[in-house]
Amino acid sequence: MRESQIMFLQYLTGILVLVFGSFHFLLISVLSPSPEKILYIYNGANATHVLVGGTLYYTWVKAVYSSLIWGSVFELLLTFLVYHVFNGFRVILSELIPGGRAEKIITYALLVVALVVFIWGSRTVVVSLAGGL
Amino acid sequence: METLVLKGFGEVVKTVTFRVRRYDPEKKEIPKYEEYKVPVQKGMTILDGILYIKEHLDHSLSARYSCRMGICGSCGMIINGKEKLACQTQILELGKDLIKVDPMGNYGIVKDLVPELSKLFNNHQSVKPFIVREEEEPKSEFLQTPDQREKYAMFTDCILCGLCLSACPTSASDELYLGPQALAQSFRYIVDNRDLGFEERLNVVDSKHGVWRCHFSGACSEVCPKGVDPALAIQLLRKVMTTNIFVKYQQKGATRGPERKSALGVS
Ligand code: SF4
Ligand code: FES
Repeated sequence: MRESQIMFLQYLTGILVLVFGSFHFLLISVLSPSPEKILYIYNGANATHVLVGGTLYYTWVKAVYSSLIWGSVFELLLTFLVYHVFNGFRVILSELIPGGRAEKIITYALLVVALVVFIWGSRTVVVSLAGGL
Repeated sequence: METLVLKGFGEVVKTVTFRVRRYDPEKKEIPKYEEYKVPVQKGMTILDGILYIKEHLDHSLSARYSCRMGICGSCGMIINGKEKLACQTQILELGKDLIKVDPMGNYGIVKDLVPELSKLFNNHQSVKPFIVREEEEPKSEFLQTPDQREKYAMFTDCILCGLCLSACPTSASDELYLGPQALAQSFRYIVDNRDLGFEERLNVVDSKHGVWRCHFSGACSEVCPKGVDPALAIQLLRKVMTTNIFVKYQQKGATRGPERKSALGVS
């Protein structure tokens, strides 16, 4: 792959991380409690909390994050992040330790670590989609 | 003691101290600064000051220069912390009584203020800084409109002084980085409508230590004594490289003018 292609993807994934990351944070802010939102209504008669939409209750968050759409968003976010972060490291390190065997070793080592992180992250997404975690 | 003055300059205005970095790799001593008192006459440049030191105070000081008029690009050095041509820097205009002179950075040192410039020249050579054509001896002119020339005109002013590479922070950390001078020159030839060498330059320019390693600090353009803007060339070069991913960059080669006879009548 030419450096121009690699760097084009670097910039593209940078923008996509911003877009998908914003979705992610938007979702959190929609879910999160705010003074205007009533988080729950306490039903004194049978002593239960009745949930009202938009809360950070664990089960609620889990239900949202287990949907196929959000699972896909996270998987894509993970992909873009892993590419952007590890290629970024490669660029920085190749500038600090330029040339020769060291640069090659760094590139391949980062590739391996990136793969491990990607597989580990994907596992989390898949497991949570399957209702686990 | 009588003050020695240089011929051809105005009266002595004041005395300034030159603090010059001295280093001789052959002596295996660590670099040090030495101070010299120089009587400054109106019109004296830093290079004149250095030559004054060399003639009257310390013959062993080494510096590199030739034209003394900002054309040959030989006298680049760091003057009071900034890359400048010594022959184009008036001492009085600096407005300081202490002037620190260092050799250019990001190069090796031959001696004192003389940098070892093979990196600059090798990088320049590696981007094929000439119009690449197949035919050995063209029989007619390649036509070029003023607009076509305007695309690269600014970058032809480079005098290969190497100040931009000395100021470049990427060159400071990445010794394999092509540097602003070579990248600007590769752009200059790639967009020249007479050139056909895009593919040949691609492996060097679009490489791990090529055009993509610029951080756009802009130090190169800031220090260039010729008003060349290498940082701009690098951005434009990136645009060419990115577009080339999707639509192959086409070099058609300029159209030809009528065939001409040489002055001797031999075509
Ligand atoms: S671009 Fe400017 S600073 Fe760099 S080598 Fe050419 S003339 Fe010197
Ligand atoms: S001596 Fe030629 S540019 Fe300064």
